Amino acid sequence: MRRFEYHEPKSLDEASELLGTLGEGAFILAGGTDLFVEIRERLREVKHLINIKRISDLSAIEYSETSGLRFGALVTAGELEAEPSVIRYYPNLRRALAELASIQVRNRATVIGNICRASPSADTIPPLIADGASIETFRPEGGRTIPLAEFFAGPGRTVLEQGEIAIAIIIPPPQQGSGRSYIKHGRRKAMELATVGVAVSLDAKDNICTGARIALGAVGPVVLRAHKAEEILIGSSFDQNTVERVAEQAMQECTPISNVRSSAEYRRSMVGVLTRRAIELAREEPA
Amino acid sequence: MTKQDFRIVGKSVKRADVIEKVTGEGKYTGDYHMPGMLYGKIKRAEIAHAKITRIDVSRALAYPGVKAVLTHRDVPRVLHYGSPHPRSASCTKDQYILDDRVRFWGEGVAAVAAISEEVADEALDLIDVEHEPLPGVYDIDTAQAPDAPQLHDVGPGGNLVIPPVRIERGDVERGFAEADLILEGEFEGGRPVPTYMEPNVCVADWDGSNKLTFWTSTQTSFMVRGALAEVLGLPLNKVRVLVDHMGGGFGAKQDLFQHEFLCALLAKQCRRPVKMEFTRRETFIAGRSRHPFRMWLKQGFRKDGTLVARDMKIIFESGAYGSHSPGVTNVGTASATSLYRCENVRLDGRAVYTNTPISGAYRGYGVVQTYYALDIQMDEAAERLGIDPVEMRLKNAVREGDIAPSGHPIVGCGLEACISHGADAFDWAGKRNNPNRSDPRNPAIRKGWGIGCEMHGSSAYPGIKEQGNATVKMNEDGSVTLLTGAAGLGTGAHTALAQIVAEELGVTFESVSVVHGDTDVVPWDIGAFASHTTYLVGSAAKIAAAELRERVLARAAELLQESAENLGLVDGIITVRGNPGQSITLVEAMGPTRGVPSEHLIASGSYTPTKSYSFAAHFVEVAVDTETGIIECRKVMPVHDVGKVIHPIAAQGQIEGGIQQGIGHTLTEDYVIDRTNGRSLNAGLVDYKMPLSMDMPDIETIILEAAPDPGGPWGAKGVGEDPIIAIGPAICNAVHDAIGVRFHHYPITPEDVLKGLKARREQP
Repeated sequence: MRRFEYHEPKSLDEASELLGTLGEGAFILAGGTDLFVEIRERLREVKHLINIKRISDLSAIEYSETSGLRFGALVTAGELEAEPSVIRYYPNLRRALAELASIQVRNRATVIGNICRASPSADTIPPLIADGASIETFRPEGGRTIPLAEFFAGPGRTVLEQGEIAIAIIIPPPQQGSGRSYIKHGRRKAMELATVGVAVSLDAKDNICTGARIALGAVGPVVLRAHKAEEILIGSSFDQNTVERVAEQAMQECTPISNVRSSAEYRRSMVGVLTRRAIELAREEPA
Repeated sequence: MTKQDFRIVGKSVKRADVIEKVTGEGKYTGDYHMPGMLYGKIKRAEIAHAKITRIDVSRALAYPGVKAVLTHRDVPRVLHYGSPHPRSASCTKDQYILDDRVRFWGEGVAAVAAISEEVADEALDLIDVEHEPLPGVYDIDTAQAPDAPQLHDVGPGGNLVIPPVRIERGDVERGFAEADLILEGEFEGGRPVPTYMEPNVCVADWDGSNKLTFWTSTQTSFMVRGALAEVLGLPLNKVRVLVDHMGGGFGAKQDLFQHEFLCALLAKQCRRPVKMEFTRRETFIAGRSRHPFRMWLKQGFRKDGTLVARDMKIIFESGAYGSHSPGVTNVGTASATSLYRCENVRLDGRAVYTNTPISGAYRGYGVVQTYYALDIQMDEAAERLGIDPVEMRLKNAVREGDIAPSGHPIVGCGLEACISHGADAFDWAGKRNNPNRSDPRNPAIRKGWGIGCEMHGSSAYPGIKEQGNATVKMNEDGSVTLLTGAAGLGTGAHTALAQIVAEELGVTFESVSVVHGDTDVVPWDIGAFASHTTYLVGSAAKIAAAELRERVLARAAELLQESAENLGLVDGIITVRGNPGQSITLVEAMGPTRGVPSEHLIASGSYTPTKSYSFAAHFVEVAVDTETGIIECRKVMPVHDVGKVIHPIAAQGQIEGGIQQGIGHTLTEDYVIDRTNGRSLNAGLVDYKMPLSMDMPDIETIILEAAPDPGGPWGAKGVGEDPIIAIGPAICNAVHDAIGVRFHHYPITPEDVLKGLKARREQP
């Protein structure tokens, strides 16, 4: 483990100022499950570690039928996995949480940490994007609310400015007749990074699709929305032919790479299989 | 073997070390801390083949907290073995502690000792290394090309580690002439690594008399002592090697590693204890993997399924150094004389150097590779001849009296029993004839069933003439101490040895304690490998215990004024035949009397084995997702004959662990080297995919005591390596049963499955 300076701010103002003044090499510590591994394996040069766990009001989980779900930056994957409203209304997010790393990691890792790490294969990002989630930030001059689909600038990069801190996630409440699913594809059942992850969130009325959001993980520099595929689905019934066309279009929209985990061609073909299966699964489990 | 009532052997007694392990009190090498201890780290090459032209360590030496830096200029230049078996004729001396040449990416080029791991790690960046790159060979084809760059000056040349191993029996051409069906195929295997829980670690400390005390996680402490003494120029009694608990080894911890020499030398230079511990990443790049291989196999069969000819060529990829390649090539090649009997065989085995990480010993030792091919081709032959795979194997299974790979007639042969018993218990016929193979929840998933077989020796004979030793002491309170050099990798070997002593001597299991892992104290031991600890050291312990029993009874006979033949010893009570009232306890027999100390009673046993073989048949159910290509191994029924079972739960644990590793080999585990530059692509547990608990299938283990071998204690044979061998071909054969695609390699990835299905669809 390389040496670093440790800071323990008591407020968001203080944390933000530290981040601003310490500049590059300063990183926020919340769960630390990724960060410490990266420090140990020398994948990230950390000069300053800013522990935000002493800051109050970042641990809340709130759900209401009108505004949906809001959870803070210190909420762990394990806490959210056990949250009744998540179990009831956001089965796709629940599935992603349940398949994230291991129980031990989930008890420490924060969901917002998983998001801010901005890995294209992060498990929680596709279902949150499919559900239309936004991220709330803190800045001394006033925070902002950013749609999660616009939050990522590239692998490991977000649109957060220097000194800006992500403090909460907001997910809109599910609509009547909506359905959602997440399918993670990997070689193992636990402790796995997704080779491909597909999340689908559908709204329907009288068996006609009125809204569709399809998010594709690990097949581009950031988690992608398959907009053209969604357009094919909206206004159609969920017949086999349509679903096949949607899946085919999603394959066209992804931009996978080849690496030691999988070839680009295989990832692309899995986007097709999993998009179809995810739509079928979402239709089986309407809210 | 006469029927005998056992009190302790054959029972799953509570492991002697279980409390230490569960509470965390058990001491592993990494747990040792000493005042003033320094931490060592190795600078590793960022190039796969090069001449070092300059190393500048001045910046590292000037760094605060750094106490020493060693390069090839500072260490003894002694050519030595990677695999230090003194009695093995086939070892290859091809390594220096540090060389002015790099032969694989990640090879150590310098070592640092500093006041903390952090400082040592930081100092590595301050060592400046300049190279003159050399052309590399990154696969076995390039390495064998006529004008290929050579890795070593030693050896037979052509990048061969040893001269080709050639075995010929009968007349292969006549065999093929008699055949109705001839099959020919090429087989390949990846590079699984053992991924033991405890990364390699050692601590070195020199005392004022220039004696080295060396704690290290090794399977072969006496080999480490021998190689360290040789290279450092010390007598054996000036090197003391200690190992207590170990977090696994699986064969790979039989080598003497670069860091072990360097740790001792850094400690000597600094006059302070030094600890060196691998990161997980280093266990990949500087550890030892299974040999990747390519094998060509041609076999001839008669219409009735009888195997009449076998022609085989196998090439093992050794990596940059020889390590265990001589042994693996000999054992792997010779194994193909057997399993399925064949009078006409012609075998050619080679090991080839490449500029890649070192292949070494790993559970299954060359046999995993050859039997994978043998058992897949056996299935193909069954299919082509319209014979059931189980029938086909029963027809060709090796039998008692057949000549084993070791050159001896097989004594206890349980292969047919394993196949027949398993076929019934698994309901083989019912499953294979089931036309409904789709998963009702997902029609894209298809099920299939397969079988694989194996046999494996319980010793390294005749490659190595092994010797097991044990000393048993009777204490004056009736408690017993067993001294053994056998390492406890985590298998429960010491518990099994204590059971054997307690049973033979006539005391309770709890009254026997085991002292091990100190080369200054315990009898010489060749090391824990070749599935031989219980078979070999167990026999030695039994001999020692029997002698001690005689001496105890002789002493008691004097006290009781009875003849020793009339006395019995059970659970620590000495009884007189026909006179139960006269029995005395061991304490009474052994204890001191007024003014007279207790008698010193100690007995030693030595045992030199030949060879016994254990056998198994594995039955497997797989489910293949034909859209994603994912293969799930759902059910395994391993049926093993290991002779007399000493500790059933420990034996079962060995079998389950082997299956886990075998599933990994076959489906997910592959340490990938970039074949253009020798770099490691997945040196870590994120992208090297071991199956975890959630991925484990239902395993229903059946252990038969079908064919005990008189060479082992009460007929016990080895179990350590067996379970990793048959699972692979069983899975591969089950996949064929499920989707009709035959694979000739491992690991079988989801992409391979989809490609195979596509090719099958496109077949005319």
